[in-house]
Amino acid sequence: MTEMTYDAPERNATSRRRFAANAAKLLQWLLKLLPGVALLFFWQWASGRLIKEIYVSKPTAIAQRLYELFASGEIYPHLWTTGQELVLGYVIGVAGGVIGGYTLGRSPRLARIFEPYVMAFYGVPKIALAPLFIIWFGIGMGSKIALASIMVFFLVFYNVFAGVRSVDRELVNLTLIMGANQRQLTYHVFLPAAAPFVMLGMRLAIPYSVIGVIVGEFTSSAQGLGLFIHEASSTYDPAGVFAGIVVLLAFVASANFLASRLEGRLLRWRSLSGAGPIDI
Amino acid sequence: MSDRVLAFDGIGQDFPAPGQRTNIRVLDGISFAVDRGKFVAVIGPSGCGKSTLLQMAAGLLIPTRGAVHHRGRKVSAINTEVGFVPQQAQLLPWKTLAENVELPLLLRSVAAGKRGERVANALGAVGLKGFERHYPSQLSGGMQKRGSIARTLVYRPDVILMDEPFGALDAQTRMVMQSDLQSLSMEAGATVVFVTHDITEAVLLADHVVVLSQRPSRILANIQIDLPRPRNMFEPFRNPGFEPAYDAVWTEFRSQIDTGRVH
Repeated sequence: MTEMTYDAPERNATSRRRFAANAAKLLQWLLKLLPGVALLFFWQWASGRLIKEIYVSKPTAIAQRLYELFASGEIYPHLWTTGQELVLGYVIGVAGGVIGGYTLGRSPRLARIFEPYVMAFYGVPKIALAPLFIIWFGIGMGSKIALASIMVFFLVFYNVFAGVRSVDRELVNLTLIMGANQRQLTYHVFLPAAAPFVMLGMRLAIPYSVIGVIVGEFTSSAQGLGLFIHEASSTYDPAGVFAGIVVLLAFVASANFLASRLEGRLLRWRSLSGAGPIDI
Repeated sequence: MSDRVLAFDGIGQDFPAPGQRTNIRVLDGISFAVDRGKFVAVIGPSGCGKSTLLQMAAGLLIPTRGAVHHRGRKVSAINTEVGFVPQQAQLLPWKTLAENVELPLLLRSVAAGKRGERVANALGAVGLKGFERHYPSQLSGGMQKRGSIARTLVYRPDVILMDEPFGALDAQTRMVMQSDLQSLSMEAGATVVFVTHDITEAVLLADHVVVLSQRPSRILANIQIDLPRPRNMFEPFRNPGFEPAYDAVWTEFRSQIDTGRVH
């Protein structure tokens, strides 16, 4: 009986606390949405009043345009092409960056030889290569994939390189004394230690892959969102430009979401705070 | 002779000095032996190359002159028959405590069935039962250190090399850890080489205290400590015979502090 009376208010209190926590979370979301919604409303109001609609379009027109594009299916071929270019460019760039950065990070001798070259190429503005890539790889998907992957490559490469080099030498020595061979050292020490840097590089690389692909499509292409935006802007169709940008934004947002999910999975040990038991 | 585990024979070590043509001589003709089941403390002023000796025993560094012999074999590559407990706990932050302690068994291809039990025993021995699934960042400094010791005990190395393992702990934690280390090494009959700069710690824990001089280090004395075990780590002065033993080490050590050189 005493337990019951002791328990009841306790449970009540926890449910009230949970309700308060949920309400706080909801409020957070509303506060987060507020600036965006305010901007949209201001845009809608200002368009045609402060600025001519032909310059900036307006949210309702863009929404209308997006609906038409998807309903008529006009956007799908562009979406498909750009999507493929993005995914392939990103994957090739990340894979190359991880392999290159890891190899050079592990081997000081190779690093001494190749680092100046990588450094020099890193300094080249990759966008300036777009016309050349069109000549080399054609106006199809190849040139865009090449441009995106080279931009992604350098970002990932440098992060992984720095990550592998920053591994504590004492940790490596200890693991060797514990009996690790090179393969085990890679699996148990170097890869997990580099993982946060790989993830950082992968996240930073997402917008860069989009820049690479879109610049490539702007320069010369037969199909793709970049071409679509380019055509819309050269025919004074700001609603079309913004519609294309919204689609790209959605792409980046979903890629970011996937990356953060992956990060949460791989780096669980990092997100845990130092709030452990205080004890000797 | 047969129970001699580790022998340092005429060890000399030079390190290149930045901006100078001549090398700095750090160690000069260090010779001493560690017998099976003995606890040897190496003590000396900071910068005298105490830790360097441990690195040589582990095969991480090959001495300029002389050699370390482990069970009669010259140490010339990474020595996987020793255990190393560093100054910082150095647990792998991406592994849980149990995974950290299991790692050496995994690396030595111990059968999966046996690993769980040995990990549980090692964690039990250092008093960390119930924290198996914690990550190192969730443990206090003392608990990480215990984990680090468990990770070494679990594969039962021939010799345990400890490099100022309690240097970074607060005074109370250190006393508890010293006491626990004494009982652990007594139970396991472990052979330990323990580097420290704390005379009390050396006298309380060790069977022999090797006193090193300042750079270039030579052995000033190899003093046997015959206090009965178990010794009281919390009240050193209560151990019968502690004072003369402490004095014997201090007399040798004092000259090195009085010289007043830059450490």
